[in-house]
Amino acid sequence: MNTTTTEAAAPAVAERTPQLMLVEGNEAAALGVALARPDMVAVYPITPQTSLVEKLAKLIADGGMDADIVDAEGEHSVLSVLQGSALAGGRTYTATCGPGLAFMFEPYFRTSGMRLPMVMTIVTRDGITPQSVWGGHQDAMTVREAGWIQIYCETVQEVLDTTVMAFRLAEHHDVMLPVNVCLDGNYLSYGASRVEMPDQAEVDDFMGRKDVNWHVALDPLRPMAVDPLTGGSGGTGPETFVRYRRGQCAGMKNALRVITELHEDWARRFGDSHRFAPLVEEYRLDDAEYAIMTLGSMTGAAKDAIDEARAAGEKVGLIKIKTFSPFPVEALKHALRDVRALGVVDRSVNFRWNCGPMFQETLGVLYRLGRQLPAQSFIGGLAGADLTVATFHRVIAETRALLERPAADEPVWLNAKD
Amino acid sequence: MGQAYSTIAFDPAKCDGCGKCMTACASVKFDSTDTTRSLIQIVRSGGASIEPPRPGEFELALCRQCADPKCATVCPAGALGKNGATGVIDWDASKCVDCLLCTIGCTYAGIALDEHSGRVSKCDTCEGKPACVPACPTGALRHVTTARIYNEVGSWEDLFAPGLAGCQGCNTELLMRHALRRVGPDTVLATPPGCVPGMGSVGFNGTTGTKVPVFHPLLTNTAAMLAGVKRQYERVGRKVTAMAIAGDGGASDVGFQSLSGAAERGERILFMVVDNEGYMNTGMQRSSCTPYGAWTSTTPVGEHTRGKSQDAKNLPMIMINHRCEYVATASTAYMEDLYDKLDKALAASERGFAYLHVYSPCTTGWRFQSALNIEVARKAVESNFVTLWEYTPESGLHFTRPVDKPLPVTDYLEAMGRFRHLSPEQVEHIQKKVTENLRFVRKIAEQADEQ
Repeated sequence: MNTTTTEAAAPAVAERTPQLMLVEGNEAAALGVALARPDMVAVYPITPQTSLVEKLAKLIADGGMDADIVDAEGEHSVLSVLQGSALAGGRTYTATCGPGLAFMFEPYFRTSGMRLPMVMTIVTRDGITPQSVWGGHQDAMTVREAGWIQIYCETVQEVLDTTVMAFRLAEHHDVMLPVNVCLDGNYLSYGASRVEMPDQAEVDDFMGRKDVNWHVALDPLRPMAVDPLTGGSGGTGPETFVRYRRGQCAGMKNALRVITELHEDWARRFGDSHRFAPLVEEYRLDDAEYAIMTLGSMTGAAKDAIDEARAAGEKVGLIKIKTFSPFPVEALKHALRDVRALGVVDRSVNFRWNCGPMFQETLGVLYRLGRQLPAQSFIGGLAGADLTVATFHRVIAETRALLERPAADEPVWLNAKD
Repeated sequence: MGQAYSTIAFDPAKCDGCGKCMTACASVKFDSTDTTRSLIQIVRSGGASIEPPRPGEFELALCRQCADPKCATVCPAGALGKNGATGVIDWDASKCVDCLLCTIGCTYAGIALDEHSGRVSKCDTCEGKPACVPACPTGALRHVTTARIYNEVGSWEDLFAPGLAGCQGCNTELLMRHALRRVGPDTVLATPPGCVPGMGSVGFNGTTGTKVPVFHPLLTNTAAMLAGVKRQYERVGRKVTAMAIAGDGGASDVGFQSLSGAAERGERILFMVVDNEGYMNTGMQRSSCTPYGAWTSTTPVGEHTRGKSQDAKNLPMIMINHRCEYVATASTAYMEDLYDKLDKALAASERGFAYLHVYSPCTTGWRFQSALNIEVARKAVESNFVTLWEYTPESGLHFTRPVDKPLPVTDYLEAMGRFRHLSPEQVEHIQKKVTENLRFVRKIAEQADEQ
């Protein structure tokens, strides 16, 4: 990080020559964490997250980052150590995926309930079994009812920037919820790309004052009982429990506004190369008759396919979901306002509805849209499978067909043999 | 508050009859070299002999500073009485009528006529610093006092609220109140699911039973959460004790990974396990600390099974193999021993992982009358069913309450209902395991002695 006294005194960071680096997605996440200056990171290595925590360990070892690092004996303890640190006032971070996320589920669910503002990168990995160590969104999708904010990144730069913003988001007093920054295992984790490093002094100014445990603390100077028993059928138990749950939902709802504000502030400070659609990105959607919907790194190939289809005269656009949880209902309604057919591509499975999870969430938005909109679920990119430009041409073609005929009840399985 | 306790303990096995204690006493008390004037007298058993003395042959004649002193009971002048603050039996020369009845009342030869002054004389422990004890070259004399427990400790604040909802006569409640008042207010306390929060330590619906910051960890992550708390305070330069009062189930079963990980990393935590040998809070289910043969609600007694069919996991021995900064076992039947270990564990928890394993009989789950709690706890130790020791990486393992002539294990087993169904073969199995376990622990203690 090239912070010098002269630079710190400069008025606007955007006017300076940015430091350019070539880094992989995992490295970018680690650099974003360092910029946010956490007190504690706790780690347990797991493919494809490993190079991320190795980078953190190296940063700390080399003095590039002043944080306590705990090499815990498993992900369950990773998150538990961080909970303790947060309750004592620490800013905390970890990263995991797949089986690691499954193993930490018990404290994971609790983190949001205690309103601990923590950041965890999920270097997304498909669920086992069948055994696999490759990318997919099944891990993050499986825990979506646990009250965490989940934000998916498309590019390496977006990983870096979103990681820093995530800390500010988690600690915002109107939010106070843990945040998952999701980056695609393999494709983003190991994909090297050019990034512009935000200036540390400007990041410090963006972050403001750390204020982690004002609402709940384990501190002899402010003794309190943390998480006493509530609920049951009598006395004040039920209403106490409900008050907490409603508070979590309110924090989630507020997050939609705060995410938007933070992205705006971030782009204003660091310039257009750091500008990302906070909730839903609308790509070439004006005058589009139909659209495809994407999540995460697949969006790059999908945009190329859209460009080619547009060049061939197709009136097709793309909707990228960045903020998946809380689900951006209004932003998505806006994106869908003129669309007459929709294809939704998921990199994971919703077993209950026999479709993709993002497709299933979108069905709720279609209901609120108040009009019939034929929509098709596509499932692809499972367990590391590539979603290429050619794949998206198929998605585009099958979505266009919905203008003429109703959608199938079955998902289209991309990367399948048939 | 009870009466203070202060006495000089004597280990005959270590005494070689050198008499240096008597020299010291006569010198300090009477400025004399005449050891017959010493208030402590070491006497050879069976009288004088030309055979060279062997360890174990010497006996002690000394005031024991009894809790129920017979010398004071028989004194017609009120010249003798127990000092509640120091624990010493004070003799008031101005009231004494020199009747010598006290010398007959005392069965320990602890008060006797001093020929030189013509009056009785007795040990006053040199105002709490007895000269004889440091004079002993073999460590046969030890000044033992629980005055701290009854006086100093009694004045410390009980950091739990009154009216915790423990079972009647709950030993765990006794233990946790003592432990937390020792550890003090600058503490963050973790009480994972079990009897300790079950009786209301964390609280219900916004109320709490504890005066220090307290929380429910998960049953599975107590040690890890505490590690995070402690590390953050160390990071900002504040001294806060991170303490767990955890049940045996949460420590030895589902929470074991977290415990083991934290111990291996040397997290600076005071981890106290309350071992009532099962999941008692939820109705007496078996844990891996439940002993062989014990009835629990998940190891019932029927035609096919007769209580638990496996032996208990020896968790404190496992913790030794983590090279913890301090590991000890304790019992509420030996409070002075427990307090001593609490002190050491607390100090060790600033350097590394300190683990204290306290056996805590459960009146409800073990099936005995609540008034018998301490008796059951004591019999466990006296029968060697439970051994009391401490370990540090530097000194190894040492017994703190060795029991050389143990009670038969049946004395312990018969004190409660959970072993009522045992067959002679099962009792034999338990006795065999007690012996095996003792041999195992002794072996490790001997290794420490050889160092």
